[in-house]
Amino acid sequence: MQLREFTIERVLAGYRKQEFSPVELATAYLDVIEKQNERLGAFLQVDRDLVLAQATALDARKQEVNKLPLFGVPIAIKDNFLVKDWQATAASKILKGYKSPYTATCVEKLESAGALIIGKTNLDEFAMGSSTENSAYFPAKNPWDTSRVTGGSSGGSASAVAAALAVGSLGSDTGGSIRQPASLCGIVGLKPTYGRISRYGIIAFASSLDQVGPFGRSVQDVASLLEVISGYDRNDATSSRAIVPHYSDHLKGASLKNVRIGIAKDWLEGIDDEVRKSFDEAVKLMVKEGAKVVEISLPHSRYALSTYYIIAPCEASSNLARYDGIHSGFRADGVTDLDSVYFKSRGKGFGAEVKLRIMLGTYALSAGYYDAFYGKANEVRKLIQQDFLTAYESCDCIVMPTSPSTAFKFGEKSADPIKMYTSDICTLPVSLAGLPALSVPSGLDSQGLPIGLQFIGKHFEESHLLKVAHKYEQIRGEFPLPSGVDY
Amino acid sequence: MSLRDKYEAVIGLEVHAQLLTESKMFCGCKNAYGAPPNSQICPVCTGQPGTLPVINQFAVELGVRAALAIKAEIHQESIFARKNYFYPDLPKGYQISQYERPFCTQGKITIGLSDGSEKEIGITRIHFEEDAGKNIHKGDHTQVDLNRAGVPLIEIVSEPDMRTAEEAGQYLRTLRTLLRYANVTDGDMEKGNFRCDANISIRPRGQKEFGTKVELKNINSFKFVEKAVDYEIDRQIRATETGEAIVQQTRGWNSAKNVSEVMREKEDAHDYRYFAEPDLPPLVLSDKWIDEIKSELPELPDQKKARFESEYGLSGYDAGVLTASRDLANYYEGVAGASKDAKTSANWVMNELLGRLNAAGKDIVETPVSAKNLADLISKVQSGAISGKIAKTVFEEMFATSKTAESIIEAQGLKQISDPSALEPVVRKVMEANPGQVAGYKAGKVKLLGFFVGQVMKETKGQANPGLVNDIVKKLLDS
Amino acid sequence: MSESVKLDRDEVLKIARLARLELDDAEVALFQDRLGRVLEYVRELNQVKTEKGASVKHVPRDAVSIREDRAIEFVDREALLSNAPAQIEDHFLVPTVIEQS
Repeated sequence: MQLREFTIERVLAGYRKQEFSPVELATAYLDVIEKQNERLGAFLQVDRDLVLAQATALDARKQEVNKLPLFGVPIAIKDNFLVKDWQATAASKILKGYKSPYTATCVEKLESAGALIIGKTNLDEFAMGSSTENSAYFPAKNPWDTSRVTGGSSGGSASAVAAALAVGSLGSDTGGSIRQPASLCGIVGLKPTYGRISRYGIIAFASSLDQVGPFGRSVQDVASLLEVISGYDRNDATSSRAIVPHYSDHLKGASLKNVRIGIAKDWLEGIDDEVRKSFDEAVKLMVKEGAKVVEISLPHSRYALSTYYIIAPCEASSNLARYDGIHSGFRADGVTDLDSVYFKSRGKGFGAEVKLRIMLGTYALSAGYYDAFYGKANEVRKLIQQDFLTAYESCDCIVMPTSPSTAFKFGEKSADPIKMYTSDICTLPVSLAGLPALSVPSGLDSQGLPIGLQFIGKHFEESHLLKVAHKYEQIRGEFPLPSGVDY
Repeated sequence: MSLRDKYEAVIGLEVHAQLLTESKMFCGCKNAYGAPPNSQICPVCTGQPGTLPVINQFAVELGVRAALAIKAEIHQESIFARKNYFYPDLPKGYQISQYERPFCTQGKITIGLSDGSEKEIGITRIHFEEDAGKNIHKGDHTQVDLNRAGVPLIEIVSEPDMRTAEEAGQYLRTLRTLLRYANVTDGDMEKGNFRCDANISIRPRGQKEFGTKVELKNINSFKFVEKAVDYEIDRQIRATETGEAIVQQTRGWNSAKNVSEVMREKEDAHDYRYFAEPDLPPLVLSDKWIDEIKSELPELPDQKKARFESEYGLSGYDAGVLTASRDLANYYEGVAGASKDAKTSANWVMNELLGRLNAAGKDIVETPVSAKNLADLISKVQSGAISGKIAKTVFEEMFATSKTAESIIEAQGLKQISDPSALEPVVRKVMEANPGQVAGYKAGKVKLLGFFVGQVMKETKGQANPGLVNDIVKKLLDS
Repeated sequence: MSESVKLDRDEVLKIARLARLELDDAEVALFQDRLGRVLEYVRELNQVKTEKGASVKHVPRDAVSIREDRAIEFVDREALLSNAPAQIEDHFLVPTVIEQS
């Protein structure tokens, strides 16, 4: 078995030709994960029994391979998703040992499509971070260079797919947490429109921004995953009823002819030279295919960082209040009165970055500060979204680098929060506007590290977005795997 | 001049009413009282990670009914907000409520006072929220039951329009009657389904500015609303008179000791950090939806009273008494409908039934005499089956035993004798026994007719039909 | 671009109290610095001319926030209680609470 070559289509073909059974494939992946995870730190939990139980059940339903779009396809799930019988720690000590009492809607949809849940992946604690260094357990490492970060917060999900430890994976994106690690790990990652996928069963970070999305090695795989996990959920009052197109079928015959590509010049400041160069080349390639470049302006996006770092912490400070040492999860030892249950459990259970953001949000919402911070940030958020809507009057799709730099070294940005937060300057405005966007690898820098190109679409027009990205992927040509992935 | 004349109290009430839904506000768990601990819980109402709220449609409709009942303004768009605080009975660490933009503002109700006057009390707002669970204190520890967590509530906030404990008590009673009429809440204070906090301050009469207000909690029975409010007014007057400053604080009513006690000073006041609930879009109440709710709104007390006056020809006073609660009004209508005599039915319900229920400390829903049984009794009097006097004896027995009039009359042989062939021998017997009186009558003493009727009634233990006896006596004496 | 403007110690402790977080001295010092930096940075928003009270409607217009009033039993309540750090007789257990509201 050549796991490195496996796409969704290839796995399904393998089952059809009876090259392997679900149990055989599951065992192969479990063995590789066992060998590689120490090096990569991609998974927080791999439960052989739970995986083999699923695979055995699939073995008995072999004839359904033609009916189920993800039959026996190994998918990794970020550890801030709830999957019944699996743990869900959000990479926090405060949820150590927490056993999911129910399954997230999007994972239920995966399971009904026949997917094989292979493990729970590493992340920045409660998805707060851009490097997966904030995991309370261990950092995830970049398969292209293990002295470098994967990006974050969905670093484990990105690393697992980049290193072929899973065919696809799910992550969550609040300010760039799918797109940025996809970029840094050289794979495709999509954050759909807010409301496209149910958030029920995803451990909340910032409710008005959180969105689930898939990782894959190709736009095709990402489209196949998206069409399974999308759709209205009566358990999520913010999920859209819009019908779910067959995204993967729509990719056929994709063309860039006369597609108007919006580029915001002012947004390209502060981007590393090599990233900028790769971006320019990608645009040139698309123009050659008939795309038209339109200059657009997103003047308020320069305030996205400040806006985001008020709104997200405010919502987080409230969302994380439930980890109180009483109703679920961790309680500190030796607590004898109610106050110490709260103070010590939360003081010891949360890591530094999480505490910083809770403090920030608590401060910004507290009496006398609300208008100046949360109120003001929401007003600016409206302007940021308005800029995008205006831009879409003259273009069909916006392109941007995904991350201003390629994968950085461990510890390089951890001392200064603002420096770390700047990793997300290209993804934050899109999140604040609730738009769909995906990152596709566009090349390697001089150190051999992947660079990502971000495609941003209109609300609920994932179909068009995927087509454009798919066509670009075709004209770009084959993208390499990191070395060391020869299993 | 008494101190009460020197000062004026200013009172506003905040009432929490549990809504009569089948399920909780934001999840499908049952909304029912008295289940085993933590048996009505799910991931949502226990605040499990990843869970989200979804609004209960019927809870919204009940809230709108309440708004219609107090003639308030209903807002097309309202916003749920998170009220953030830590407490063991609050599993999410925040309560979903409404804050800056509630669904209802500017209502009013009219209350009646003991001096016969009426007063209008303004209602600032009504908003939706979810209830918390229950902390149960066990000496060395506290344990938490989340069955009640997430149960739908409306909070009704009055204007500071009340000036006396009586007004506060009447406001609370009138509000409860309205909400029970509209089937919004069962209004049971003892079960905690209807809770009241009072904001109380005093000021010298004539002063415009409000004094420092004290929040009084734990008023959990109608029995001591007035007592608790009065106590707090007196306490503030005494304190002011002795030069002690009133401080802004929260006090709790201790019903065992009949005093209010400090619970929390202002310095400990919470900073709730309200913000719009991002997991829910704004609540939109279209005109069409509001009209639908309006069309299904049960008849309210004022409308019912007016109808009783016109449909049944009752006096304003009688109609008022009979519509004091929806259950009483329904009972009355049951009796009047079956007996086809509205006025007599009203007399029976008001004079016989309510008096006895009051004496027994029972509510109309606990009446031992069903509406149908009372109507049957009334019909028996009308048809002449029993006399009005015997009917009262029968009713007493019905109240004591819950038996039907028919079975009591049967068992005790109380049926009225209206058969002339049965009565004639009795009349003859009485005439034979009193020849002197017969002679006297025949000589012109016609007044002696009454004597014979009385004797016959006595002879038949009151069961004879008096009119018929009269006729027979007359006939036989004159022949 | 991130000048450090330290928050004073009492301010940090006051926020930590509201958020129910126990912080050791080193953390207090760290947060004085880091909170200060972020708060200083976000001050740039004051330059932006905005419409008072405006906000993004982040929920899609076709979302349905209302559900029918129907009771649905969650069968696995044991799974909910067993995730709590301490339980007693089917209750969540905490040290004695002094009733406050």
